[in-house]
Amino acid sequence: MARTASRNIGQSIPRLEAREKVTGRAEYVHHLRLPGMLYGKIFRSTVPHARIKSVDVSAAQALEGVYRVVTIDDIREAIPHPYYGPAFHDQPILADGKVRFAGEPVAVVLAADPHIAQEAVGLISAEYEELPAVFDEVEAMSSDVLVHDVLKPAATFPDLKHLAGRTGTNVALDYHLLRGDPEAGFAAADHVFEHTYRSQQVMHIPMEPFVSVADAADGRLTLHTASQSPSFVRIEIARLLGWPENRVRVKVPYLGGGFGGKLYIKLEALVTALSLVARRPVKVALTMEEQFFMVTRHPCTFTIKSGVNKDGTIVARTCKVVWNGGAYADIGPRVTQKAGFTSAGPYDIENVEIHSYAVYTNRPPCGALRGFGAPQTAWAYECHMDEIAEALGMDKVAFRRKNLLQNGRPQATGTIVQDAALEQALDQVADRLNWNEPLDRGDGRIRRGRGIAVGFKGITAPTTSVAIVNLYADGSCGLYISTVEMGQGSDTVMAQIAAEVLDMDAAAIKVVHPDTDVTPYDMGTLGSRSTFHMGTAVRLAAEDARKKIAELARELGLPEGSNLPLPELFRRKYGMQAGNIIGTASFIPKYEKPDAETGHSRNATPFWGVGASGAEVEVDTETGHYRITKLVNVADVGTALNPKLVQVQLSGAGIMQLGFTTTEEMVYRDGQLTNGSLADYKIPTLLDIPPEFINEHVDSEQKDGPFGGKGAGESTTIALSPAIGNALFDAVGVRLTDLPLTPEKIFRALCEANGTPLAGE
Amino acid sequence: MKAPDFDYVRVRSLDEALAALAAHGEGARILAGGQSLVPALNLRLLAPEILVDIGGIADLSGIALADGTIRIGAMTRHADLERSPEIARHVPLLARAVREIGHPAIRNRGTIGGSLAHADPASELPACVLALEARIVARGPSGERTIAASDFFRGLYETALGPDEILVRIEIPAAAAGERFAFHELARRHGDYAMAGIAALARDTGAATLRIAYFGIGSRPMLAAGAAAALRDHGASEAGAAAAVRALGADLEPQSDLQASAALRMHLAGVLLRRALKDLFPDAAGGREEEIA
Repeated sequence: MARTASRNIGQSIPRLEAREKVTGRAEYVHHLRLPGMLYGKIFRSTVPHARIKSVDVSAAQALEGVYRVVTIDDIREAIPHPYYGPAFHDQPILADGKVRFAGEPVAVVLAADPHIAQEAVGLISAEYEELPAVFDEVEAMSSDVLVHDVLKPAATFPDLKHLAGRTGTNVALDYHLLRGDPEAGFAAADHVFEHTYRSQQVMHIPMEPFVSVADAADGRLTLHTASQSPSFVRIEIARLLGWPENRVRVKVPYLGGGFGGKLYIKLEALVTALSLVARRPVKVALTMEEQFFMVTRHPCTFTIKSGVNKDGTIVARTCKVVWNGGAYADIGPRVTQKAGFTSAGPYDIENVEIHSYAVYTNRPPCGALRGFGAPQTAWAYECHMDEIAEALGMDKVAFRRKNLLQNGRPQATGTIVQDAALEQALDQVADRLNWNEPLDRGDGRIRRGRGIAVGFKGITAPTTSVAIVNLYADGSCGLYISTVEMGQGSDTVMAQIAAEVLDMDAAAIKVVHPDTDVTPYDMGTLGSRSTFHMGTAVRLAAEDARKKIAELARELGLPEGSNLPLPELFRRKYGMQAGNIIGTASFIPKYEKPDAETGHSRNATPFWGVGASGAEVEVDTETGHYRITKLVNVADVGTALNPKLVQVQLSGAGIMQLGFTTTEEMVYRDGQLTNGSLADYKIPTLLDIPPEFINEHVDSEQKDGPFGGKGAGESTTIALSPAIGNALFDAVGVRLTDLPLTPEKIFRALCEANGTPLAGE
Repeated sequence: MKAPDFDYVRVRSLDEALAALAAHGEGARILAGGQSLVPALNLRLLAPEILVDIGGIADLSGIALADGTIRIGAMTRHADLERSPEIARHVPLLARAVREIGHPAIRNRGTIGGSLAHADPASELPACVLALEARIVARGPSGERTIAASDFFRGLYETALGPDEILVRIEIPAAAAGERFAFHELARRHGDYAMAGIAALARDTGAATLRIAYFGIGSRPMLAAGAAAALRDHGASEAGAAAAVRALGADLEPQSDLQASAALRMHLAGVLLRRALKDLFPDAAGGREEEIA
């Protein structure tokens, strides 16, 4: 609900950092140069799966200006067990005897001049004994080709413990959910439908490529890194080094985009090792092209089966979701579980069975990417919904509405749904598309259609945020948080929340950027969690500060409600302009981990992310080319704490998912990426945005969120792809099951449908 | 990535440029607008010893009409072609085609000579000069020579230019009364390279002088001579169009890449031909087609 009385909440306060950014003064790790700093350039594997017979670094080492060439043997001297990862300790800092994807780092050249380092990389050669490789997730489920000999789960996730030491499998995690009796449900259903859908491998493409600087000296380490999770980096680096956390300092200035890529630990382990080996500060900055080998979004094969009664009630559903995790698990097992438990869609279904598998393959690693698996699952379940409605002859909105989960009803895990404006979002999209009005479909070469989809996601849990509000002696305020400002506007929103409690202007609050020596713990800037989790911690910390102000007033003998300005209180207490009032708070939402066998949980998620999308398309049936003439995204963000920032979050996520839907795909030949540059991997430009592009939030409230707010960063990624796929079907009557939706696929499907298939590819 | 090391010289005259080419041979590359060369360097697809920047040679740019011929200097920017009233009036095909080249920033820097000499098979201008029967003038150590556009494009990024030659201008017969053109392209994104494109020109109202050129189909821009002959024989009727589309099978050598398969490209070539015929001969072919943007 809009709080018109507030000068902070519900106001489109301009970004606090806007001036710094547009004048080019904002601080990024790419700008950082430390005295004596070396640059590291990476020599990468040219084969997808092999034993390394030898690496010849002699010519590189001999090049004038090269400080040192480093392989895993050198790294072991500094870090005896050089394996890292958030879910599994499966990723070596540099290839260790084996390479598991083409593009994997094998050696690093260090030089004071990055160009010399790059030239020396070209002088390194490696001899490989090639091994059979596996690239497809379904094949990898049963393949004899094993990417890892043994599973090595990290201790940080207790629910992965049972996987330790497992051998002979590529399945890194299997998640299962059972609700009711699906077999009986199918047997009793009037109709049963089964379809398989696939999502492709795509990449985050932050405009600021990955970059980290490590400065290790005298038993201490400072990392300056483009990371979304400085607290996690500190913990994981401290574990690798066997040091206490207080000897590792992680600083993050602004980030030029993260989208889930810069999470957990990426280049930080490598630069740390290099700095320890070289005893100099070391910077590694990837090129745009190298980013394709860092982390990507999971390809996914999803087979979904539904039992449906004549009246349109879905009575049973089974989901088999296979996630291609690439060569290293990264956070894939979490994606498997979190997107797994919502993979039956936002529907009220009595009998549900879900099997979700994280699988290793010989591709670049896959991790979190804006939506944490929800876009891949929604692509399947929302295309499936349209196919069922089509077969039953039901209106596609009415069919969804009939089955939609209502607040107060249990989701498949058993968690009671609260504050999820699913129906409102769906209705608002239908309204913007004039769903009940006829559409001019065309009768010639150009055909028009429209499609709609709705989806939801659970939020990573349980996660903790800690905030510190520091009131200085003149009454001004610093807000100490480890939330990373990566373009989403978190500095502004967090300042708004603190300001609301402290009765100040948001713009007057200084937000102190992550520095683990200074700012307190936060699990990470990820998964739409900051507004809800950190926002709550900030609110509580500000309330704590207020409480302490009141205590100070009482201590000074002031009558209740005397409302003396804070600087005056400090002066009375300390006799001069001195002192601080420090408010602190931490927040961890209620959570119950899912039962290992049934997947049930009474508290599976802190809140629900909700997004609905609609699209109108026109298709040239002679060529398969199509144009999205109208694209509508509606999200439930609770109270929009800053409507302008909500707007740009929704449109930004929408444009990103538009690329993942229409043009983007990492294409391989024999395990080699063939389009790993922005010349060939096509992301949308401003001119590719549909002429009518509507992004809105519904009027809603997250009752336990800070001032009614919740996350907004991923909502429009969820339902966008199926909305477009459904619109294409509506226009030309062919169903594409595999992303991305290319003109060639459409044209081939049209030829197939006409009985005149086009010759092979 | 960044480009490998190279030397750089900005020359003041053609003679200076030719001297630099003579000195470095195959190791030298001419830098014109840099819109293809610089990305190719940065992707390390090319590693020349030296770049010879001809941007400082004033008399290499400009558009002039004399004796029924339009002469376009090699360093004339796409944006200049786009804004030129002479081009709009006398070479309307070119005026139409340059709008599809990349984005404004690219058109502000890119040059016609650079585009032709680079000979990217997916570029618009090489196909246009084929359709226009342009003459390409090169200067080498022994003076100027003129190369017919149809002899100029030899293969993927390959032209008739010798390593010691510089493309200096393009000569195009000015449009005669009754001349018609058609231009279409299909791309995955706004401003992207074509996955299939056509540039066609008829010097009069009939099909007798028709020239049909394709880009984005094979390894070089190609004239569809068989299709044009079929249209000369049958006219632009439905029968003529069908014969022409059939003839494309022998005219073109479509290739597969990330954007489209060879089979789809061959199909698109036929679709584009029919669309072009509707533009060129609206009466015979039954009017223009509706379009999506």
